[in-house]
Amino acid sequence: FEMECRVLSIQSHVVRGYVGNKSATFPLQVLGFEVDSINSVQFSNHTGYAHWKGQVLTAEELNVLYEGIKLNNVNHYDYILTGYTRDTSFLETVVDIVQELKRLNPKLVYVCDPVMGDQGSMYVPENILPVYRDKVVAVADILTPNQFEAELLTGRTISTEKDALDVMELLHQMGPDTVVLTSTDLTSPHGDQFLVALGSQKMVRPDGSKSTQKIRIEMPKVDAVFVGTGDLFTAMLLAWSHHHPNDLKAACEKTVSVLHHVIKRTITYANGMAGPGKRPNPAQLELRMVQSKKDIEDPDIVVEATIL
Amino acid sequence: MECRVLSVQSHVVRGYVGNKSATFPLQVLGFEVDSINSVQFSNHTGYAHWKGQVLTADELNVLYEGIKLNNVNHYDYVLTGYTRDTSFLETVVDIVQELKRLNPKLVYVCDPVMGDQGSMYVPENILPVYRDKVVAVADILTPNQFEAELLTGRKISTEKDALEVMDLLHQMGPDMVVLTSTDLISPHGGQFLVALGSQKMVRPDGTTSTQTIRMEMPKVDAVFVGTGDLFAAMLLAWTHHHPKDLKAACEKTVSVLHHVIKRTITYANKMAGPGKRPSPAQLELRMVQSKKDIEYPAIVVEAIVL
Repeated sequence: FEMECRVLSIQSHVVRGYVGNKSATFPLQVLGFEVDSINSVQFSNHTGYAHWKGQVLTAEELNVLYEGIKLNNVNHYDYILTGYTRDTSFLETVVDIVQELKRLNPKLVYVCDPVMGDQGSMYVPENILPVYRDKVVAVADILTPNQFEAELLTGRTISTEKDALDVMELLHQMGPDTVVLTSTDLTSPHGDQFLVALGSQKMVRPDGSKSTQKIRIEMPKVDAVFVGTGDLFTAMLLAWSHHHPNDLKAACEKTVSVLHHVIKRTITYANGMAGPGKRPNPAQLELRMVQSKKDIEDPDIVVEATIL
Repeated sequence: MECRVLSVQSHVVRGYVGNKSATFPLQVLGFEVDSINSVQFSNHTGYAHWKGQVLTADELNVLYEGIKLNNVNHYDYVLTGYTRDTSFLETVVDIVQELKRLNPKLVYVCDPVMGDQGSMYVPENILPVYRDKVVAVADILTPNQFEAELLTGRKISTEKDALEVMDLLHQMGPDMVVLTSTDLISPHGGQFLVALGSQKMVRPDGTTSTQTIRMEMPKVDAVFVGTGDLFAAMLLAWTHHHPKDLKAACEKTVSVLHHVIKRTITYANKMAGPGKRPSPAQLELRMVQSKKDIEYPAIVVEAIVL
């Protein structure tokens, strides 16, 4: 059985390490997806290192690349995947491309990580927000904001689980049928070494009526800063919701489990490289992606999502 | 396995050439692949249309500088392929030399892509850069017959010629040379492609020996793009596992190519329909679908030790 599923992923490329397209491509490929990748930048490494150098793709150059695909009549995709973008005209060009690809394939699913910031602070230019809020989210089918990004997009603050569910409902109304709050500040019933994530999926029953499945997932916190885990999360959510299109619980359990295995392998390696009592550096903390191939292909489920 | 490759090759949005062809197979085999994309094109240039951007020698330097400033310019392998720009290629040589100073055991796998079937498809001034600078720092070289002739200035008409040319190439630099395809006639007939390999080794007692092999692969009636890039990447991988056994490394490499090509032509013919020749889009290598063959290639070819 050969899966025929083509993803257009528009993300960063780093020479070394695993963020953006480097984080998303290999896992999707080992799961049998064809990945066409447009590299929005080419940097030596991610910006958490002491130094980084490289070049960015302009909106014009993005258009040129898409034009080549289009002229050859191969602009047919099942999924689009986007993440960290700093440039408003680049993002607007992405929206144009998504709209055209959806006209060509109405079943296309746009998986969008609206990367803008975290922990109350934006790390992209502020003028990116209106583009996401007013244009991008409307064409997204699966959205993976963190709590801060969900608050920015809806103009609402999240203090309780109820707030979060209300915000996800607002996001549904703005566009996507699937919303996953990939991390929140909500307190877990299991204690504060656990990170709470929430998901909501609107579905249409066979009889035409609508239902919404809402879930909560808790993941053990790890005392380190990882880069690229959000990109891996979004890519794996694409993969597992492809296999479980009407079962957000199953898709999220697999996605979170993959993250768990990769992170665990990474922190073990990083601590080993850093030595006792030393905090690992960004180079040592690069995700052990290639080494995690089997976990990506066939993840042991290590988390159970609670249906709300 | 802790093995890091720096691969400097093209990137295409769609399809499998250059870094797109080399990276996934190396990653599934457990190699860490750092990749510098020398160009970003929509697709390879065998399609009706292609569009994109190229990286300049300066921009290559800037990327390498970033890696160097972070002190992570430590590699076990460097891998290069199709390059059209002489200053870009010269910058690659500088980088290889510096990386070798930092790691004297570094192995530079070089595919000196210049042309095929008697005709060059890169600017002519690339030849002297390969001949006079690149080959000297290469450890594994994978020219086709035409490229080997260009590099040595010698013509190959017989197997003896080919062995002499490979020996000349050894003297120019690389201890391992694989003539990835030749016009030599196979004892098995005209539906077979002959490839040859030669590896110089140092015995425990300090004397040198050379293992030379011949391999024959069934010809396939189609034009594939990216197979050379896949070949060089897989030769890197399998010589890593069989550093003193060119026969084993080549049998695995050629077997992987066989499985990928077979899966690809089957798919392409099906997509094209009966009696129709498949298009370049349909002939893109079925790379992702060939994962198991890449990981555990069933050996389908036997190399003869000459």
